[in-house]
Amino acid sequence: MSFDPSSLTRRALLAAAPAAGLLGLAPALAQGAPRVVSLDYGLSSTLLGLGAPPVGISELAGWSEWVVEPAMPPGVAELGISSEPNLEVLARLKPDLILATSWLDAQIPRLERFAPVLRLETFIWTGTPILEAAISATRAVAARIGREVEAEALLDRMEEVFAESRARLAGRARKSAALIHFWDSRHVRISADPSLFNDVLLRIGVRNAWPESTGPWGFQTLPVEELSRISDPEALLLVFEPVPKDVFRTLDRSPLWRALPIAQPGRIRPLPPVLLFGMVNEAMRFARLVTEAMEAEA
Amino acid sequence: MSGGIRLLPALALLIGISAAAALLWTLIAPGLLAPEVSGYDAARMRLLHSTLPRLATALIAGFALSLAGALLQQVLRNPLASPTTLGVSAGAHLALAVAMLFFPVLLGLGRDVVALVGAGLAAALVMALGARRGFSPLTLVLSGLVIGLWSGALAAVLIYLNDRRMVSLFIWGAGSLATQSWEAPLALLWKTGLLALACGFLLRPLTLLELGDEEASALGLKLGRTRFLALALAVGLSALVTSAVGVIGFIGLVAPLLARLLGARRVPALLLSSGLIGALLLLTTDALLQIVAGMFSDLLPTGAVTAIFGSPLLLLLLSRLKIRREAFVRAPPAPPRRGDLRTGFALLCAALAVLLVLALFLGRETGGGWSFGAEMLSLRAPRVFSALAAGAMLAVSGLLLQRLTGNEMASPEVLGVSSGATLGLALGVFLLATPGFAAQLGFAGLGAFAVLAAILISTRRSALAPERVLLVGIALSALVDALVGLMAATGDPRALTILRWMSGSTYGAEASGAALLCGAAVVLILPALLARRWLDLLPLGPETASALGIPVRSARLRLFALAGALSATATLGLGPLSFVGLMAPHLARELGFSRAASQTAAAALTGAGLMVAADWIGRTVVFPWQIPAGLTAALLGAPFLILLLFRRGRT
Repeated sequence: MSFDPSSLTRRALLAAAPAAGLLGLAPALAQGAPRVVSLDYGLSSTLLGLGAPPVGISELAGWSEWVVEPAMPPGVAELGISSEPNLEVLARLKPDLILATSWLDAQIPRLERFAPVLRLETFIWTGTPILEAAISATRAVAARIGREVEAEALLDRMEEVFAESRARLAGRARKSAALIHFWDSRHVRISADPSLFNDVLLRIGVRNAWPESTGPWGFQTLPVEELSRISDPEALLLVFEPVPKDVFRTLDRSPLWRALPIAQPGRIRPLPPVLLFGMVNEAMRFARLVTEAMEAEA
Repeated sequence: MSGGIRLLPALALLIGISAAAALLWTLIAPGLLAPEVSGYDAARMRLLHSTLPRLATALIAGFALSLAGALLQQVLRNPLASPTTLGVSAGAHLALAVAMLFFPVLLGLGRDVVALVGAGLAAALVMALGARRGFSPLTLVLSGLVIGLWSGALAAVLIYLNDRRMVSLFIWGAGSLATQSWEAPLALLWKTGLLALACGFLLRPLTLLELGDEEASALGLKLGRTRFLALALAVGLSALVTSAVGVIGFIGLVAPLLARLLGARRVPALLLSSGLIGALLLLTTDALLQIVAGMFSDLLPTGAVTAIFGSPLLLLLLSRLKIRREAFVRAPPAPPRRGDLRTGFALLCAALAVLLVLALFLGRETGGGWSFGAEMLSLRAPRVFSALAAGAMLAVSGLLLQRLTGNEMASPEVLGVSSGATLGLALGVFLLATPGFAAQLGFAGLGAFAVLAAILISTRRSALAPERVLLVGIALSALVDALVGLMAATGDPRALTILRWMSGSTYGAEASGAALLCGAAVVLILPALLARRWLDLLPLGPETASALGIPVRSARLRLFALAGALSATATLGLGPLSFVGLMAPHLARELGFSRAASQTAAAALTGAGLMVAADWIGRTVVFPWQIPAGLTAALLGAPFLILLLFRRGRT
């Protein structure tokens, strides 16, 4: 079972939206809402954004640590690790639809025995910018579960968040940032083009200070000293939490780090965790957090 | 040794030093020659606080590891000993990974201590296993590499189960020398410096040791104490390096070897020149890597790269190594247990039947409770029966290898066929990004049979001398380990697919696949049962077997091919990490089945039972999460196996 999001035009969706929306609002149908299982954090979060909570998701245990918001309502079943969701739980859940990413291609034939599988490309670079891919995936999911109106509302909300961020940041002097996550006190992961984060930065008028493109996953692992390649004197360094405990203790004793222009006290801002391979909700959360971080006085 | 023979190595050394100097200049020049910049001078800062301390770290780590390797080789009189080949570095790494995941408080107390405990435990285990064979070089290295690979694999799987934290652990497992201040190299310098100075006190005792045990003790040397101190120093040096920069593979093996090739003979010269050569070697490698990594602008962990170049070197070394046959004279088999073997078989079958019923019918509810019923039979049966078939095949494969080599540490996991399959899969994942199930199986099978063919061809000249086959396999396993580590350390999500497969899950089992595996088990185990005369007589040695009318060469070739086919098929179903092939034959013998035919059958039943039990435990204990069957079997089985070997050692 595969689905090509590009075959859906915006116009077709808008035309279909009122009818589907009317139906979707009918309480009788809400009761018979499809039982959806999601095997990807981004897709699970999108279901919440569409007002259609899943009946079961993978890696529920880590939700509050890695996705944080929106909160997962109680009563959702845990399916275990994403790459090998528990089939016994899946069988008992009797889902109507399973959402999966191309990452689970090897498992899809097996999953299809339990329910139709909607396969979406959400975080791998295939030529479409990641944010656009996330938007089409959101519409595809919505079309499948009759939530087109909610999808357009969600996407409108996203545009509003972007517009607001853009407006708030427009007057500020510093308009570029580098996004890093510390693996340990010697190595960082830096987010670059092509990634969801990079696309959102573009939309809210912030330049990614990391000058290079990366492989299809949108990030690179580098030794800390490579950060000296960031030449933009105005750039801020946004550091994703959580930072391992010993990182700053060690780095504060490093002359290289202390002298690094982008690591000067006024230029480092902490950034609460945002799901790396997220979708629309995560794009909004990221836009909001980046805006707050860039506005914050150091 | 005449001067003429040393000319070539000396020339090589000169070329090496010049190359190192050129590389160093390439690294340092931009910082030195950059024009003076007012304010922040990026090039100079990098030179002073990153490039130079990193090079210093390489020098110190290379020196310490090579000194440790030279000490180990000297005291164990074993040209293959090193922190890598004896599992010392891997033990330290596993201890650090376990501490980081489960007891982060311990890391606060000091990484060095945690690493020392891990390295010490691994070394103690290897020595204890080796002691039973009078520290024969091959037994030591076999035990060391098995324990090293087990620790490495276990650390990898622990990381897989915590995948979102995996990169930081992998960078460490793959050994990165990156640093941003002089703090790390200076700390490492004084710690390893103290230990290196302590080695000075051992120079005379170690020189005496060269004379042979009797001579040395006649001269008043306390053999045990000298050996212990030298080993402790070597373990300490490797643990310190591992806790500071991670696992740096094979430097400690290669440097002492080069020192010997360059003509170092006396102990002081050997230790010192090994250290210096190791320092130079790691420095050159790391400088080269920094230049290459600069071009690709991605992380290339130095330790994994030295391992990738080091393991083929181990292969080369093997062809020069003269293997003492007497090391493999087999201990007389345990006397068959009194009483009827039929009772034994009945008990084994009954136990397997009980396990099958449990595995098929007893499961967990979504809420957490237990339930007994046939409701989930269609989901459980393929997994249970592929575990059963794979377990039986691995067990028989292990039995064949143990009987062929006369070495009880032999097993398909050790043969490298499993590693070949892993490598094939890795290739598939990289070529196709997200290969389907059939493609994964295809690539894995290709890899498995490629290794098998390579082993058969490369050892044909030595008439398939069993010990060579095993060591070739081990070198390949180390290579695969390093490659997967390298991939994972860059944070590439595709590494997860490979790790998942390495963990030995039955998750992917289909009814048709399980039926195929069961069929293959029957077809492949049958010839092993039929070859019982060969299997009974071959362990008596090639001369005896030949005198009794066995075509030794062709018998070995066929049995190796059979063992390879068995383990390749089983690995496709269950991943490379179960250690069932190692355990089941031992268990069968412990149960009193000592003749080839009965041991084969009993090992098959035992292996099947072990895997069914491991799969069931993995599916139920942390429900709805699942622990892969191969990992469960390795986790539960390895300590048990070690106990067993110790017990047998005493009697």
